[in-house]
Amino acid sequence: MTSPDEAWSVSRLARAIKRTVEEGAEPVWVRGELVGVKRYPSGHWYFGLRDESAKVDCTLWKFSAARLPAPLEEGQEVFAFGTPNVWEERTALRFNVTRVVSAAGVGAAAQAIERAKQALLADGLLDPARKRPLPPFPLRIAVITSIAGAAVHDIITVAKRRWPGIELLVINSTVQGEGAPAELVAALGRVARLDAIDCCIIGRGGGAREDLAAFNTEAVCRAIAACPVPVISAVGHEVDVTLADLVADVRAATPSQAAEFALPDRREVEARVAALRDALGSRTLAQVAGMQSRLVRTRDRLGNALLEQVRTAERRLLRVEARLPLALERHARAPRERLARVQGRLAPAMRRRVAETHADLGRLAAQLDALSPLAVLGRGYAMARGEEGRLLRRRADFVPGTPFTLTLADGSITARTEAS
Amino acid sequence: MSSTPTLGEDLTRLEEIVRRLEDDDLALESALQLFEEGVTRLKAAQARLSVAEARVLQVLEESGDTGALRLEPMDG
Repeated sequence: MTSPDEAWSVSRLARAIKRTVEEGAEPVWVRGELVGVKRYPSGHWYFGLRDESAKVDCTLWKFSAARLPAPLEEGQEVFAFGTPNVWEERTALRFNVTRVVSAAGVGAAAQAIERAKQALLADGLLDPARKRPLPPFPLRIAVITSIAGAAVHDIITVAKRRWPGIELLVINSTVQGEGAPAELVAALGRVARLDAIDCCIIGRGGGAREDLAAFNTEAVCRAIAACPVPVISAVGHEVDVTLADLVADVRAATPSQAAEFALPDRREVEARVAALRDALGSRTLAQVAGMQSRLVRTRDRLGNALLEQVRTAERRLLRVEARLPLALERHARAPRERLARVQGRLAPAMRRRVAETHADLGRLAAQLDALSPLAVLGRGYAMARGEEGRLLRRRADFVPGTPFTLTLADGSITARTEAS
Repeated sequence: MSSTPTLGEDLTRLEEIVRRLEDDDLALESALQLFEEGVTRLKAAQARLSVAEARVLQVLEESGDTGALRLEPMDG
């Protein structure tokens, strides 16, 4: 128990009450009827919010009042957004309101969205089959948003990180308030007048539900559908899906995500290029190696086939020769001698041809070795080519002052003979 | 815009070249041609990736009712 000696001052009590009410108080939406509405010359509004069994006094300060779509009216059913606080001087509880929307307006807005949705549906603009794919490697992207907002900064930051070669064309537009739908429609119209745009991001940073109204209008949705390039919506509201999201080709939850959807990741593409470079080298080497082993096999088979023919011919000659003496000894001495002479010439001729064929094939294989681009060029050699790609093999092939091309392992350069 | 192949076209063609180089019936001449084309396209792709700066431009309506648009550098 406390004694009167420990009595609190009034101020202390007031502060304690204020602390109890305000500490940890979260802003809330409250639905009620407006009573005792007063607007002071200072610009502040005072009113009560009432339902069947309770009433709370409210304040709406001048800077918040400036955002009212229409003056408050006595008896109006509204949603008010605010935080409870205590006016210390009188220890009076006030609901400090920062936003008021008419309940009828909320109902009307929902109805307007539904009407717009039905109209878009009727024209097939919400058909998922309409959705266009995004270009894989865009060069120029149009960004429609308010240059005063955070969205444009987020998109630029992500774009610079992911795909530094990109060109962003920013089209400034109001994204909330009365003029927003018309400005957004005009901005979308400008996309069609710009050259070589690959896709378009339209959006805003996070906003309250009623701030998304422009993105729920039929006019903006039709302009998105009419845009000649794929459109990414980035309305920045995770919970609510706007009609613009439904009409857009791709919906992103945030402006940053829209930039991620629109642009490839430079590191991924670099990895893909590196993999292709390696594959190109190894496949070409494999081709040349395969060609060489096929040539060797062909050469061996060809040689063996020719040798076999010679052997067969020799065997047939021997058989004929063996039979000839018996049958023709007396009558055909002359033919026999002729045959012997033919045989003597034939076998060496066939052998010579086989040897020549081997030599030809050997030369071919050697040429093929020289052509292997990576095996040879990779060791630091270069191929010199004159006009029409003719290989320059000898000193005499280089005419002073005449340009020629040097092919190295990783490409070509143009060179010129200084003096022979 | 010129008819220079885009990065996407270069990568698609490179993938096709690598696939074709796996074909056993390829003549040596064709293989070497494909290799040379592949090297050219690789260089183009690498050049495209080495572009360092993003450009941010604001689209503005030309004064007067010409309907023309003008682009102005914008600080990102």
